[in-house]
Amino acid sequence: MELLINLLINGLATGMLIFLLAAGLTLIFGLMDVLNFAHGGLFAWGAFSGVWFYGVTNSFTLAILGAILTGVILGFITEKLIITPVYGNHVQQILITLGFMIVLSEMLKVVFGPNQLAAKTPPLLSGSWEIGDVIIIKYRLFIIIIGFIVFGVFQFILKRTKIGLVVRAGVMNKEMVQALGINIKQVFLYVFMAGAGLAALSGVLMAPYSGVIYAEMGMEFAILAFIVVVIGGMGSFPGSLLAAILVGLAGSFMAYYVPALSLAVNMMLMAIVLIFRPQGLFTAKG
Amino acid sequence: MKSTFQVSKIILFAIVVALAIFPFVSDSRTWTILLTQIFIFSILAMSYDILLGYTGIVSFGHAMFFGMGAYATAIMLDRFEPTIGIFVLSIAVGMCIAGIISFLVGLLTLRLKSHFFAMLTMAVSGLFLVLAEKWRTLTFGNDGFTFKAPEIFKDRMMYYLLVLGCLVLVYLLLRRFVDSPLGRVLIAVRENEQRTKSLGFQTLHYKVIASVVAGVIASLAGSLYAVSLRFVNTSVLTMDITLDALLMTIIGGVGTLIGPIIGAGVIELAQHYLSGLAKEHPIFERWIIFFGIVYILAVIFFPKGIVGTVKHLFWKRKNPIKIAISSKRKGIAK
Amino acid sequence: MSILLKVENVHTHIGQYHILQGVSFEAKAGEVSVLLGRNGAGKTTSLKTIMGLTPATSGQITFDDKSIVKNPTYQIAKDGIGYVPEDQGIFGALTVEENIKVAIRKEDEVSLARQEYVLELFPDLKKYWKKDGGHLSGGQKQMLSMARAFVNESKLLLIDEPSKGLAPVVIEKVMEAINEMKKQTTIILVEQNFMMASKIGDTYTLIDDGETVQSGLMKELIENEELKRKYLGIG
Repeated sequence: MELLINLLINGLATGMLIFLLAAGLTLIFGLMDVLNFAHGGLFAWGAFSGVWFYGVTNSFTLAILGAILTGVILGFITEKLIITPVYGNHVQQILITLGFMIVLSEMLKVVFGPNQLAAKTPPLLSGSWEIGDVIIIKYRLFIIIIGFIVFGVFQFILKRTKIGLVVRAGVMNKEMVQALGINIKQVFLYVFMAGAGLAALSGVLMAPYSGVIYAEMGMEFAILAFIVVVIGGMGSFPGSLLAAILVGLAGSFMAYYVPALSLAVNMMLMAIVLIFRPQGLFTAKG
Repeated sequence: MKSTFQVSKIILFAIVVALAIFPFVSDSRTWTILLTQIFIFSILAMSYDILLGYTGIVSFGHAMFFGMGAYATAIMLDRFEPTIGIFVLSIAVGMCIAGIISFLVGLLTLRLKSHFFAMLTMAVSGLFLVLAEKWRTLTFGNDGFTFKAPEIFKDRMMYYLLVLGCLVLVYLLLRRFVDSPLGRVLIAVRENEQRTKSLGFQTLHYKVIASVVAGVIASLAGSLYAVSLRFVNTSVLTMDITLDALLMTIIGGVGTLIGPIIGAGVIELAQHYLSGLAKEHPIFERWIIFFGIVYILAVIFFPKGIVGTVKHLFWKRKNPIKIAISSKRKGIAK
Repeated sequence: MSILLKVENVHTHIGQYHILQGVSFEAKAGEVSVLLGRNGAGKTTSLKTIMGLTPATSGQITFDDKSIVKNPTYQIAKDGIGYVPEDQGIFGALTVEENIKVAIRKEDEVSLARQEYVLELFPDLKKYWKKDGGHLSGGQKQMLSMARAFVNESKLLLIDEPSKGLAPVVIEKVMEAINEMKKQTTIILVEQNFMMASKIGDTYTLIDDGETVQSGLMKELIENEELKRKYLGIG
């Protein structure tokens, strides 16, 4: 029983981190048909800048805010410099975002050094609670809560505000949104920056969770996020949450029971979805 | 036009002869090894060009075929005798495996839109990497293993000549391939898949053929690579290999075959010098940043790469009118 | 009457195809101008080009005495052109209410009053206010699309084949609505249904193979059997 709960919590925590990364990816894709292969780079930058901010300020809150700010700024630069020039050309987009991924992760090594860094859990969140036989690691619970809060906030924005309405409409039919007098490129820039901020948030939360951070983590984690985006349906925000939890749980249970297959399972999941239901399990296009 | 063709053929021939004579005149071991490396990556990059440049599909999983060749050859030379016969056989085995896998993967995935295809190839290739890391009894995982190469390749020069021979052979074969009616259809797919389809071509079949050809050739490059190092580990299956092929093809010039060769030369040489400079300033340890930036600029401003751009300029001087049409049609497919 | 929109010798390329090869016409304020022509003649592309969705490669488009030919789509819409596309462009997963709200640029009393007024024109929409746009019938979608284009007090409405795929009874309703909107705004209509076009239209422009063939008053066209037979296949 306690094993089950532990695996569940592990899976949920990982799932939430993947969700934060995938949420931006899915909206960016849904809105503009841009698959950002550099998204993992923003994640890694979030992790490194967060650890740096934490080291300097000794405040985890400031570390999180600093990481998000870094992500948003990098998102702005990415959109303006990398995405806009090749707008509308898929092949070039794929090629260029991957190129930018290389640059982002190498820049990381230039700024923070080529070696992996250790990341500490803030004292308030370290340790665990014991409830009966069940041990709940505080930090993991913290990640899960943050994940749900972010989901709630974004869901509120999407459902209840004008900009959210525009984003949802844009995912369905961007030509029409423009014909109604909305500058979709401007909206897209905001969405891109928000997505980058979420990726960075995911990175900074990931750091104490895994204990060490390294430049390549961006690409490794981004692959999971891609899987989630595909399974959840491109452009579907709730879909990406469900798929992320699915992938997180599958990973945590497989890692315990059949460790050799843990990564393979998710990839196979994606392959199956892509082949049989390429629009994903949930679909945002109405 | 005809005379330009002849001239470029003669120039190519002269370059090949010069390269063949090179090891007899120079006894620089570094250069022999470096050039061997360039030739091997030229083969890999050309195979990638068949996909990206000629068919207009972006694969992020090309490393898996390279890795298959490398492992096939390394494992067979290690388990059996390190003889020429086994070497040749292992290349054939690697090519067969790569052919079968690329056929199956292609059949399943090539009907998907470009993004999904790129992602799925990345994932499948990742799967092979995981497989190689976990199947330690066969591959020794990330630690890898060393093995003996056939006796005759102890002489670096012999191996250099063999690889050069392979490069020339592959170039000629692929040139034939892209100039054949089949190759024309591939270009049509790149330019406008929908239209090619409506003309009655089963575009999926042609894309699968392209991916099999590319996979098989990449496997050959992998086999040659393994023997040149006499060592193999999982790095042959990593994204880095795919990225190398991608950089070389884009920087050299997509859809030209010669471009990827030049790209391979430029990148390997620059890598050699830049990492040499690392002793003077640590920024050069991160030489790949320069390529990343050059690559991004190339995608935005020179999507035709070195060869394409030079050709374009050359042609512009000769045919100022036709250029308007060609600039629309060439470059990377939409 | 003053000329609200003027299209002069517009050429449009889509990909490698040269779709519009010299389209010219004008729309006078307060009138309904109808674009007529065979399938594939370039009527829909003409509307899209005015909206900037398929930008013109050459030629001039003047709206309200300002050139709009280089403007982005959203700017053109903001300047006061409403667009009802051929497929209606309804956001399927949004409710009727949300479909209208997307279009409203500033929510205040004026826009609210306007919304009320528009809903009186299309009472069906009020009934299905919370229903998903994707679940509406073809006629309702058409109404929603027109209401959405009209809710911002557009000076000009571009309506692409409103009768397409609708039952005759529903077409009646759509026509009524257009007649009502006509009192408030200028309309450019693409219509295959000549009966409907001839009833609503004040002027016509014939487009064939991407070129303007002839323009004039609708009542002249109604009597010109030869023109109708040659370009519209009727008469």
